[in-house]
Amino acid sequence: MEKDMKGSAAQPLACNNVSERIDPYGFERHHDFESYKEMMNEYVAVLNRRSTRWSKLLQEKPHIEKNLTVKRYVRKGVPNEHRAMIWMAASGAQERQESIPGYYQSLLAMEHDAKLKETIQMDINRTFPNNVLFKSRAESGLQRALYNVLLAYGHHNKAVGYCQGMNFIAGYLIIITKDEDKSFWLMDALLGRILPDYYSPAMLGLKIDQEVLEELVKAKAPAVGQLMAQFPGIWTLVVSRWFICLYIDILPIETVLRIWDCLFYEGSKVLFRVALTLIIHHQPEILRARSLSDVCECFKQITCGAFTLDCHTFMQGRFKGLLEPRAKGTRGPYIKPKK
Amino acid sequence: MGSDDSYNFVFKVVLIGESGVGKSNLLSRFTKNEFNHDSRTTIGVEFSTRTVQLDNYTIKAQIWDTAGLERYRAITSAYYRGAVGALLVYDISKHLTYESAERWLKELYDHADPHIVVMLVGNKRDLDTLRTVPMEEAKDFAEKKGLMYMETSALDSTNVEAAFNEVLTAIHTKVASREVTRGSISAVTLSNPIGPTSEAQEGRGGCCKSA
Repeated sequence: MEKDMKGSAAQPLACNNVSERIDPYGFERHHDFESYKEMMNEYVAVLNRRSTRWSKLLQEKPHIEKNLTVKRYVRKGVPNEHRAMIWMAASGAQERQESIPGYYQSLLAMEHDAKLKETIQMDINRTFPNNVLFKSRAESGLQRALYNVLLAYGHHNKAVGYCQGMNFIAGYLIIITKDEDKSFWLMDALLGRILPDYYSPAMLGLKIDQEVLEELVKAKAPAVGQLMAQFPGIWTLVVSRWFICLYIDILPIETVLRIWDCLFYEGSKVLFRVALTLIIHHQPEILRARSLSDVCECFKQITCGAFTLDCHTFMQGRFKGLLEPRAKGTRGPYIKPKK
Repeated sequence: MGSDDSYNFVFKVVLIGESGVGKSNLLSRFTKNEFNHDSRTTIGVEFSTRTVQLDNYTIKAQIWDTAGLERYRAITSAYYRGAVGALLVYDISKHLTYESAERWLKELYDHADPHIVVMLVGNKRDLDTLRTVPMEEAKDFAEKKGLMYMETSALDSTNVEAAFNEVLTAIHTKVASREVTRGSISAVTLSNPIGPTSEAQEGRGGCCKSA
C-alpha cells in the first residue's frame, strides 16, 4: 500500500480541499468545516513549535527511548510526520515487527476462514462512509488495505477474530501510517497488550474498564456517580462506544490522535483520564438529566463542541486540571513538575 | 434532554437482529425519514425518538438501536431494560439472518419485560428478486411464536411506518387494557430515575392519566 494520499496527513494544515470541505485525513466535514478550520488556524502555531522540538530531539536521539522528556513530548502531541514512527517504537510494535519479518505477508498468503472473510467484508463499506479515501469508488481507496489488515489480524489472533469497532481502529491506523504492515503491528500492540480482552468474545477487559470508570467517577464526581447508580447498567450504554472505538467518531480527529499518542506511549489509563475530564467538566449538565434517556443524550452532547475540538487545551487540561476542582493546588498522581 | 413537547407515554422500543439487516436504517427512516446506503457500523447503543398520535394520545416512541454482532450481547443486557416493544429484524435475502431469529428471541425474553410486544420484521423487501426467506415461512414462524409480522423496506419506505405504528398501537392497547401490571406500566412510561413515585412527571402534558 504505497499510495500517496492526497493532503498527506503529515501536513494537517494543508486543507487543500476547501471547496469540498474535506479535512487532510479525507473526512468530509459538511457541517463543521468552519469551526475545524478556525481551530486549526490557532493550532498551527502549536504544531509548528512541536514539530521543531521533535525534529531536534530525534536528531539528537534517533532511537526513541522511554524517558520523562519523551513522555512530556508525547503528551504535548506527536507531529503527524513522526506519528507512525513514534507509535511503532513506543508500543513495542516495531520490535515485534522486526522479530518476525514477513509475518504479515504470510498471514495474507494463508488460506482464510470463509466466515471471518464474510463478517469483515460486511463492514468494509460501513467503515468511514464519510471519508473519501474509504469510499468504494475512490481510486486510491483504502478499503483493500482495511480488509487486509483486519483479515490478517483475525487469523493472527483467532480468539478475537473480528469484532465491530476494530474496523474503525484499523482505519485510523491506515490513515496515519499509510502502511498495512505497520497498521497490523499497531493493532497487535493495541489489542494484544494495551487493551487486552477488549474485543474477545466475552469482552471482559472492556467490562472491567467500564466498571473501573464507574468507580473513578464515584470517587471524583460523587454526584454523577449517585445519579448513574439509579440506572443499573447505564455505564455500558453511555461509554461502551468511547472505549470500543477509542474515541473515534466520538471526539474530533485531532483530539483522538492526541489521545492515541498517549495510548501508545503510556497505555490505557489515558482513556480514563479523557472520560473523567469530559464527565467532570460537564457535571452540571449531567446532573440536570432526569431519566435514563436524558443521561444517554447528555453523554452524547458532552463529546461535542469547542471544548473537545480544541485538542491542545483539552489534552493539557486532561493532565493538569483533572483533580483541581476537588483538590485545589494539588497535582494529580501522574503529573510531574513542568519546566 | 427533556423536550418541550408534551406526551402521554414514552414507549421504549428496541431493534434487534443480526449485523447488516438494516436496523439503523429502519430507525433513521422512521425517525428522520432518511436512508443511507453505506451507513456506519453501529457500535454501542444509539437511540432516536419520534412523537406519534394514537387515538387521542401522544406517544413518544423512543427507538433504540445496537450492534448486531453476537459478542456485543455480552455488554448490552441493559439495552433491554424498560423496553416495551421490539422489532426483531432479519434480511429477506439472507436466510442465515432469519435462522438466528430464535436465538434473538431467547435473548430478548431473557432480558426484557415478559409483556413486551414483539414484531418479526423481514427487511429489504426491495430485494425481492434475491429473496431466500419465503414470506409464508416467516409468517408461520411468527404465528407459532406469538409475534406480529411484517415485511419492510427501509430503502423505499415500504411498511416502515406501518410496522412501528402497529407495534406502538399494540403496546398502547396493552397499557390501556391494563393488561400490563402496574410495575410494568412504570416501565412503559420509562419514567424517571428516582423510582416509582415519580412516574407521573414524565409527560409534561399530564402523563399517565390513562388509568
